[in-house]
Amino acid sequence: MNSAIQVNGLEKKYGAHIVLKGIHFTVEKGEIFALLGVNGAGKTTTLECMEGLRGYDAGSILIDGTLGAQLQSASLPAHMRPLEAIRLFEKYKRTKLQKSVLENLGIPELAKKQYGELSTGQKRRVHLALALTGNPDILILDEPTSGLDINGRQNLHEQIRKLKKEGKTVVLASHDMAEVEELCDRIAILHGGKIVFVGTVEELAKKVGKRYLVQVKTTAGKQSVATGDIGETLLVLLEDFKRKQLPILDIRVDRGTLEQHFMKIAKGEGE
Amino acid sequence: MSAFLYAVALQWRLDIRSKTLLITCYLVPLLFFAIMGGIFTAITPETKDSLIASMTVMGISMGAMIGLPPSLAELYGSDIKKAYQANGIPIGLGITAIFLSAWIHLFLMSVIIYLIAPVAFDALLPVHSLRYFGSLALFLTVSLSVGGVLGLSVKNQAKLTMVSQLVFLPSIMLSGILFPVGLLPDALKFLGKIFPASWGYRLMLGDGSNFLNILPLLVIFFAAGMICVALLRRRKV
Repeated sequence: MNSAIQVNGLEKKYGAHIVLKGIHFTVEKGEIFALLGVNGAGKTTTLECMEGLRGYDAGSILIDGTLGAQLQSASLPAHMRPLEAIRLFEKYKRTKLQKSVLENLGIPELAKKQYGELSTGQKRRVHLALALTGNPDILILDEPTSGLDINGRQNLHEQIRKLKKEGKTVVLASHDMAEVEELCDRIAILHGGKIVFVGTVEELAKKVGKRYLVQVKTTAGKQSVATGDIGETLLVLLEDFKRKQLPILDIRVDRGTLEQHFMKIAKGEGE
Repeated sequence: MSAFLYAVALQWRLDIRSKTLLITCYLVPLLFFAIMGGIFTAITPETKDSLIASMTVMGISMGAMIGLPPSLAELYGSDIKKAYQANGIPIGLGITAIFLSAWIHLFLMSVIIYLIAPVAFDALLPVHSLRYFGSLALFLTVSLSVGGVLGLSVKNQAKLTMVSQLVFLPSIMLSGILFPVGLLPDALKFLGKIFPASWGYRLMLGDGSNFLNILPLLVIFFAAGMICVALLRRRKV
């Protein structure tokens, strides 16, 4: 199997409510893949089916490699200390987490605290460390930066990039579009129980009919041009300003954010 | 094996930190023993023969049915189970570690009663100490298995407290440790036989046939064990 994860025709319903209507997607080995969707779209259900925590009604999930998971809602006994939990997981998986991983996640500073005394962000760091024990091939992260401060977020992003460099596959569900855009190689958008898009952010932009907005500020004022061909447009504009001998003060190219594209898909535009 | 031993040792530490298990495994049973031991032996001197067994049955029943279930519910009724399961930690690890840790705590509490009762209340020691402790170990194991069913089947802590009391109180009241079973109506006599306490008490006293006291305990243990396995295998749908 070349792919790390293959999800084929996955169906899941809760009573009469159908959450997943036969979704298909593939996660390639070594990529960072994001699952996007509005609340209740079925992201967590999909991840929990992949982790084996939840049964499903039809379809199949093929996983090639060992899994580590940081869940959206996870806990530990209130009186357990973070390092005790990590040691427990390490002993079961017969591996030891690198000291640098623990330091990057700020675990040593939590050594004397009990789990019940940790903040939300600190708990998420502990669960990420637990997910990394056993050196898994595939890491599933459900809302990994939720509750983290800016430092924690940056450390986590750094950690995720490092994992990719080590050849790990990372699947994450997130509401943070900027994070997804910054980190992920490919994304899948879950909407109405179906996968409505799988591909790169650039491919998504094309799908929703994205046009660049070029804004040029000169001594004569501002000029905005919407275009689908950024290269050609910039050349024409620059030649025009040169010919008119207008000094350029600023140039901005707005290529649209993932959030804008996502909202178009969520509203059913561009499908 | 080292992982398993680490898990049990860790659970032992957590139980000491949490204090809940210490209260139900040591403080309350030993306080009950200190007060009731004095009252029993003062009112009815004959209870000196059975004081060690009766106070031990009371302590073990309290620890197993009121002390153990909340720890299990904390683990299996919450997202702790998911964190373990999603990362490949065996699902039975929690219950095994909690069971063994509680077993050790309750055994120690029983030893304290065994050592103090003769000095404090002039209680008689069992004739066959080895047989007594063997019986105690069996009763302790069976009681914890019933506590295991409670802890795995009721996730809500408030409901669990009520359900635990509903099992613990009749178990103690109908076991014969507070008053002779012969005084009870037939229906209550029968009801008392459902709980391990009545059989454990008889076994520890050496009252009646060993086989007829052990058999019901084994039946309760296997039934509770099978229910625990079924509850552990239950998966979210």
